[in-house]
Amino acid sequence: MSSASSSAESAEGRWERLPPWLRPRGVELPGKGELRWIETTVLVLVGILLAVATINDVARQTGVNHRLVADIRTWRLYTGHNFHNVGVDQHLLGPATKREVVCGNDVPGAPKEEIQVCLVVDGPIRDGRRKVTAGWYLRAHSEDDVRSKRYGCFGPDGAAFCP
Amino acid sequence: MAASLCALLIVAATSEIVLDGALGRSPLIPKSPSIAGWLSGIGERLGYRVFLIALLVSCAAYAGLIAVVRARERGRVSARFVIGLVVVLHVIVFAGPILLSTDVFSYIAYARLGVVHGINPYTHGPVAIASDPVFQYVGHTWRQVESAYGPLYTLISYPLALLGVTGALWAMKVEALLASAGTLLLVWRCAAARGFDPVLAVLLIGTNPLYVIYGLGGAHNDLLMMLAMMGAVYLMVARPATSRREGAAAALIVGGALAKATAAALLPFMIVSRRRLAPIVGALLALAAGLLAGFLAFGIHGVDLVSALNRDAAFVSSDSFATEIAHLFGKPGVFPIDHDLLKGALVLIVVHLLWRTWRGYDWVAASGWSLLAISVTSTWLLAWYILWPLPLAVVCRDRRLLVATLAVQSMFVIHQITPLLAPVS
Repeated sequence: MSSASSSAESAEGRWERLPPWLRPRGVELPGKGELRWIETTVLVLVGILLAVATINDVARQTGVNHRLVADIRTWRLYTGHNFHNVGVDQHLLGPATKREVVCGNDVPGAPKEEIQVCLVVDGPIRDGRRKVTAGWYLRAHSEDDVRSKRYGCFGPDGAAFCP
Repeated sequence: MAASLCALLIVAATSEIVLDGALGRSPLIPKSPSIAGWLSGIGERLGYRVFLIALLVSCAAYAGLIAVVRARERGRVSARFVIGLVVVLHVIVFAGPILLSTDVFSYIAYARLGVVHGINPYTHGPVAIASDPVFQYVGHTWRQVESAYGPLYTLISYPLALLGVTGALWAMKVEALLASAGTLLLVWRCAAARGFDPVLAVLLIGTNPLYVIYGLGGAHNDLLMMLAMMGAVYLMVARPATSRREGAAAALIVGGALAKATAAALLPFMIVSRRRLAPIVGALLALAAGLLAGFLAFGIHGVDLVSALNRDAAFVSSDSFATEIAHLFGKPGVFPIDHDLLKGALVLIVVHLLWRTWRGYDWVAASGWSLLAISVTSTWLLAWYILWPLPLAVVCRDRRLLVATLAVQSMFVIHQITPLLAPVS
């Protein structure tokens, strides 16, 4: 097999017809470094954006976790059941609303194997819990977003959630 | 002294994760055959708090170790010390359980689909073998999903299916260990060939917490892809340069891409950099051979990598920068239009890098930037994706790539710490 460097010279000759600014180079020419400066500036700006987005997301998720803990505590205090398996749906009523649906069995049992009590919790955290604005019962083996399976809605806003 | 302390902290933090993980029953440790049971009497169940503290300690010690080695103690930190540290970390993780990912069980499931059950892994997901012993270990998200890996990787993993689930798991761990060792050896040689300090280059990769804990700990096939990448880089930087070497390097990249498609990112930069026929011929020959083997083994679905990539590109993970930026601007998540914008941004970056390479910019650096750009613009970001540019960053002629790669890794780690700030249970 031939040496690559000898074939390279003849190969490079074919680019001579191109204008100088378009010709390929084996190595970069030492210049004023303007392009490198622009690239570095863009990189730093992108880096700042990613860093701010990361910190913002950590703060957002920390808030979500605090709400999650308060939601579960609210459900346990409201129902009087100190059950371990309590589910919190933070998207059902819109993730931006910060209104969450917390569901758990009304008697001991595997998750969703029994009738569930679901609560809509809202507002800021006070004393480690949030305000219950509505609630409903849900038949066993049902998902909390299936409206037709809800019954016995209660609370100030309860009527809006039952079929 | 400072280097020894940092090394000790990295080893201690990694050991903590492995020993606690060996007990299983943790959301951080996937359900798995008991391969590390003999370690389980020492630690406690691995929780988020202990894991994150160990990860942060490991990252801080890694940063400290690099700073010490670069700043003043290079003469006192021997190659033997660094190699010894890398070997110890590899042995600790190899002896332990699978960490943080169920992917390895998907690899085994795809192999068992084809070998044990005679089902094409490119047309059926693991759910097709729900009665197989490996199925219970496959991640819920991936049970319906056909293989997105290249036909070469599937063919390599096929013989491992004959070893049973536990045997195949160990074989996957050995494969990851050997791929990592090979990658580090090639990084050493590439660094030496390009006039960089090979000890620092190996230190930067072999003790990197994401590389060790996530990459090696999860026995990810990304390590195999990185081995092919670094093999190609070595063939290109080794002297004397010959057409045969250039052709073989391009063929290796294609081989890597037929294992995991991302490796293909290197090929255009290599071709534009050399502007010779040999890499093109090497790539085409390897592609033809690989596609033929893939077609004969798996039919048309086995060589249709584009649809698999398109399917995976639609996935969204909470760790992706795209999701974080969406949240920053008050959006609940990534919308379809965002996928298009991100693809557009990636195309612009690659075109700019190709132009720069055409005008003499280091093709290894350009390849590394493109891999970093792929991971940053991806809506589906996992820890091992931000390992891709690292071996290129330590042997390229643009130090900014290393800084950017480590910065992105740092941001990924910071994004994990929420359970430490607000524990849920």
